[in-house]
Amino acid sequence: MRYFLSASLAAILFASSLAQAESGTALKNDTLRKEPYNDAKTSGQLKRGDKVDIVRKQGAWLQVKSAKTSGWVRLLSVRRAASTGNQAAGVLSVASGRAGTGQVVATTGVRGLTEDELKQAQFSEPETKLLESYSVSAADGAQYAKAGGLKPIKLGYLPKPVATQGENP
Amino acid sequence: MKKTAWACLFASLLSLPPQAMAFDLGGALKDAVEKNAGDLINDKNSNDADATQAKPEGNSLANINWKSPSKEDEIKLGREIAGNLLGAAPLVKNPALQQYVNRVGRWVASQSERSDLPWHFGVIDSDDINAFAAPGGYVLITKGLYKRLHNEAELAGVLGHEIAHIVQKHQLKVLQKQQLLSLGAGLLSGKVAKGNLAIEKVIGSGAEISARSLDKDAEYEADRMGLILAARAGYDPYGLPEVLSDLADISSNDGSIALLFKTHPAPGERLSALAEATSNTAISLPEGKAVKNRFYKLEDK
Ligand SMILES: [Zn+2]
Repeated sequence: MRYFLSASLAAILFASSLAQAESGTALKNDTLRKEPYNDAKTSGQLKRGDKVDIVRKQGAWLQVKSAKTSGWVRLLSVRRAASTGNQAAGVLSVASGRAGTGQVVATTGVRGLTEDELKQAQFSEPETKLLESYSVSAADGAQYAKAGGLKPIKLGYLPKPVATQGENP
Repeated sequence: MKKTAWACLFASLLSLPPQAMAFDLGGALKDAVEKNAGDLINDKNSNDADATQAKPEGNSLANINWKSPSKEDEIKLGREIAGNLLGAAPLVKNPALQQYVNRVGRWVASQSERSDLPWHFGVIDSDDINAFAAPGGYVLITKGLYKRLHNEAELAGVLGHEIAHIVQKHQLKVLQKQQLLSLGAGLLSGKVAKGNLAIEKVIGSGAEISARSLDKDAEYEADRMGLILAARAGYDPYGLPEVLSDLADISSNDGSIALLFKTHPAPGERLSALAEATSNTAISLPEGKAVKNRFYKLEDK
């Protein structure tokens, strides 16, 4: 219930910040979906380099339109043109943005590891020894990677974006 | 301005306690002070507890150089913390799975600046959705999170995030500050002679430190580094974003993810920050491999 409320508020507030259409480019081949969920029906394909118009954001998803097709695609699959820090704040997204579709996540009532459980935990020497017994050498790791066809590449770390984590613009 | 308003809306609408939104180090430090004050007052009980759970290492933690911990200090601390976590949730008794995770994790860790650490990876028997890092190279992922993964690149991304915490010494720095405060609290209460005991207590309850809220920037940094570490290892760099995208689909009311949501920014925010980081740079990310065929599938019970 609270969820719905927050989602609709979110939609209203996003609307203003996205009044004018943004454009973007597909960073990778990806599937377009009819709704913003991983298991939603396919509505088309996006090819790396395709130009799209971004209709709106919802959670981790972007609704996009291209000359050929339209649908929802994962946010990171599209590089937004002329992106600015402010837009990022909009994707705060109320955690999932799936409210309103009636899709319910299974809440099995499984109790998670709580902070209290962690605070009260007792050191286990046998388990720690067991953990250490599974370690492999750097050479073993490299060999396994090679067997899987993985090739290491040189790549610098991503710099911290200027506006995203700042206080107020 | 806009962002601040958002944070408030978010917190109040979901009725999260205020501290759930406060990922600042200040909050963690305040906790540490309060906890230490409590420990010193309850010395009697603490002594009893210590007597009944003697550890083989004895007092080795008392010799840690808190000002500038050595690599050995770091590993000692991490071992203690990881061992505590394993006391709460033991390893999944599946050697093939554990070996697989170690092979993948070790390869990703080798792409970091701290390839020299003795890296240990493990899947713990908990339906919770979470992963943990402790100083010196200890990384644990829950069975609950592992089961949601689809390929090796996703595993590499998740482990990469935890490896980044260790490389950047995020938890170690929190522990160091906590320790300084602990000694300070000892002085104030005139119990400085029990300094060593206080040290034991801080670390003794240390399993929680691996799950404690870090500075929000530390989480975003671990995401950015984790993505690159996986990419350096030859994996599809989108593994970590895929996992975050999947986690964004889980309701925050689901208890199995409560702790992760409490200690990390929401997956949607993390995705957004990653999107920003990858779109504002001239670096083009490589395609990489998903490696699905040999991914170790963990069957349901
Ligand atoms: Zn983290």
